[in-house]
Amino acid sequence: MSYYFTILSPTDVPLFNIAFGTSKSGGDGIARFRFPDTAQYMNQFIIHSSLDIVEEAQWMNGNMYLKHIDTYPPASAYISAFLTPSGARFLLLHQPPQLPNTGSATGAGGGGGSSGSILGGSFSASALGSSRASASSIAANPTSPQTEEAVRQFMTEVYENYVKTVMSPFYRQGMEIRSAVFRSRVTAAGRKWL
Amino acid sequence: MTSPGDAAPVKPPPSFSPGVPRVASKTRYPNQRRDSSPSLDADLTESRVVSPPPPLPATTSELPIRSASPRTPSFRSSTPQLARSSLGSPVDGRFEGSEEIRSLIIRSFSPVVGVYASADTDELARQKGFAGGFWQLIRPFGENIPGKLVIRDSVGASRSWEDYGVRFVDLGNNNQGLPESGGRNSPLAHLEEVLEKQLGSLDDPLGGSLFPKDFLGFPSTSPLYKLYLRQLLSIASAAPHETFRHPVASVIAISSRNTAPLETLRRLYADTNNGNKKMPDWIHPEYLRYYLLVHDEDRDDITESTKLYDQMKRHFGLHCHLLRLRSNQCVVTDDDSVQVPECEWLSPSERLFGRTEPLVDLDTGGLPHVFESDVMAIKAFVRELVAQSVVPYMENRVAVWNDQVASRRRGISGRFMSMSRRWAGFGSGSRSSLTSGGASGNYDIAHGYYRYDTPEAVLRKMADFAFMLRDWKLSASTYELLRSDYANDKAWKYHAGAYEMSAVSMLLSPSSLGTKVKIDGIDQILETATYSYLTRCSDAPNALRCLTLAMELLKSRGGSAVESAARWAMRVMDQGLVGSIGQGLFSERISACFAARNPAPGVNWGSRRRKAGMWSVFAADLWLRLGKPSLASAALEEAERLYADVLHGDGAFTMPEMQTFVDNLRHAVKVEYLEARGLDLRDETATAAALGTDETSEQLDRRKNRKSLIVKPLDSGIGPTQGMRDNDNAADDDFERA
Repeated sequence: MSYYFTILSPTDVPLFNIAFGTSKSGGDGIARFRFPDTAQYMNQFIIHSSLDIVEEAQWMNGNMYLKHIDTYPPASAYISAFLTPSGARFLLLHQPPQLPNTGSATGAGGGGGSSGSILGGSFSASALGSSRASASSIAANPTSPQTEEAVRQFMTEVYENYVKTVMSPFYRQGMEIRSAVFRSRVTAAGRKWL
Repeated sequence: MTSPGDAAPVKPPPSFSPGVPRVASKTRYPNQRRDSSPSLDADLTESRVVSPPPPLPATTSELPIRSASPRTPSFRSSTPQLARSSLGSPVDGRFEGSEEIRSLIIRSFSPVVGVYASADTDELARQKGFAGGFWQLIRPFGENIPGKLVIRDSVGASRSWEDYGVRFVDLGNNNQGLPESGGRNSPLAHLEEVLEKQLGSLDDPLGGSLFPKDFLGFPSTSPLYKLYLRQLLSIASAAPHETFRHPVASVIAISSRNTAPLETLRRLYADTNNGNKKMPDWIHPEYLRYYLLVHDEDRDDITESTKLYDQMKRHFGLHCHLLRLRSNQCVVTDDDSVQVPECEWLSPSERLFGRTEPLVDLDTGGLPHVFESDVMAIKAFVRELVAQSVVPYMENRVAVWNDQVASRRRGISGRFMSMSRRWAGFGSGSRSSLTSGGASGNYDIAHGYYRYDTPEAVLRKMADFAFMLRDWKLSASTYELLRSDYANDKAWKYHAGAYEMSAVSMLLSPSSLGTKVKIDGIDQILETATYSYLTRCSDAPNALRCLTLAMELLKSRGGSAVESAARWAMRVMDQGLVGSIGQGLFSERISACFAARNPAPGVNWGSRRRKAGMWSVFAADLWLRLGKPSLASAALEEAERLYADVLHGDGAFTMPEMQTFVDNLRHAVKVEYLEARGLDLRDETATAAALGTDETSEQLDRRKNRKSLIVKPLDSGIGPTQGMRDNDNAADDDFERA
């Protein structure tokens, strides 16, 4: 499971980005997305496109944590969202790991940027990946209640740290969050819950 | 300022066309430009309602803004050509497009009428310049029946249709009915090849007569996609699992030259019944026979023919017609010469191998000419054939079968029968007991078909007839009835076909408006159909057809169904059902699906503009990789139009990596386009110098991944805005490092 976490200001400006991998079930905490290294913009495209759904979901739901709101099927990327009272939005993109065989195929086509690479993996891979029995239920199934719960815990913890960070007297609203402490806390939360 | 006359021969993205000093002057007056090119005008009126374009601020004040406040980073003004997409109201265009696609889908399922002509009739047609014989002469006229056609459905309600048609197939020559053998090239490869050819002829800078249409029609449906869809829908040949390509009727034709007319007719009839033209076991042999006497106006005596015709009517009943044709060949210079219309439904292989003339000679289209009187006669004949014989015959068959076969199954006893059959193993739910208890035994497992007279085959035929008569309610319920039967018999292809058509008829039937539950149910049905087609039968063309139909029909439903549509389209791309060109087309289609979702009334959320824009960008990327920069440019333009609403104020992406990607893409498209035109880049430099843009290079140097560094002069038009953006990005980079 690879994660891409971003905080967006009310005007969709990214305030904070971090990519990390799962630390559960022997993961080393390094993100391995299905896109080749040259196509990391895909994460931002997917996050940006899911704002359509966030805008809709935020009026339908009274909670701050909106749960899993959107999917990008070609790369089996799942988006969860969390709203803050100030209008900033936390978006977490999570992508289940790829099966080795399809992984090598994408890797081979990655350099040239073949049509396969832009779309990431495949449906079949994601279906197989989710059905595969794994030690951690979070990694196996991104839409299961356990995953929702883990993401909620993660979001809440990040939110607490976010509040502390933005209350710093040296922070103005709309500024990027450059605090190294905040980054390390988010990483810790990711290691703890995801 | 460019005068209207100069702009007349519009070539794709005018911003790139050489020799035109910056494009701003052109794009400022979209109205004027459009009026000046009559060829485009026709296309516009055809494809959408022409409304005076609301002038976009960025369009009208392109140049002044840039010079007045060069610090404004503007997503829009960075590529001037996108102003053209504001030509018409996109919403109107989209709506019309979906109606058009719907009609195209409906028309693709039209009844098939076999043509079996005697040798002398074919000879007559050949004299007129139709090498393929009589069938080729009448084929184009069957595709659209002039005037309205009234069809009664199963409950007796009449509805008239403007766009009804039939397909004429040749029963004489190409051996009918044999399914495509696996050894030949797959039809999907042919399909791709046709597209390639079409694209090749479009991209040719000299012969791009079709191109402006393609370009301006983009917001609705690109003609290329329509071609693709039409080709996809005409792949199907007669197959056991569906009866759409089985003949509903056949025309048996003799000419007045025949010396023994009645005997010839009898012989022809016998040929179709049990001779060498006999249908395989899975085609119902009892179809309508229609007897046609072709009278040669130029050589023979009409009184003789009338006498013969009366005789025919006495012998064969009402299904007869006397067609009066001239046998002389018609040339273009004749007074009343009319060009034969082109066939709309040519299968990909026919398009590739059968007719090469149109590609060579575009002026005449390679199509033969006939006399106007002949056209009138053939049209009258086709109309009479369809309105008075084929349609009543089909209505009659549907009523009879509905009465005799379907109602017995639908009734309480039929339900009980099928249920008892299913639970014969005393409710043990295991699959193995289902085979022994559930199979009806009608399915010929060795050959993989039902004989034509088994109830399953008859019901399928009835459902298909109802579908072709556009009685979707009846067909949907019949397909539903059949689905479980086929599953019990493990007739997977039939099973997939029944599921596919039941979803399609549900989507087509006007009464069942799309509620959420309905759409979910349809998704389930489609899932089953695709699984059966792909995994159980590995039948890619049918799976592709099924998913494409589903996508288009769901899209035309609007509302929440469009997301379903987009998902199916993604599925198509993902399963690798389409080739590289298909990938591009489907990306555009997904974008169109998302764009069709309108925001909730009164608020500004609920649309899917960002998703639509994203897919357009991907489409542009795919086109560029295929080496089609003009298509890429169109897709990019569409993306910018879609993104215009969601990007706040300045029109730049807030996410740095996205912005970089789009910038690079835009630049690459530009460069490739210019290279494709063989343009000397010095031109552009001169233009840049003329505009006097000052470019600061030290900011650009900080970016390692920008292709724009390589060919700097090209960026001159957007230099200042980029400088600004680089400032932003520099800040962002810092922040990323933090």
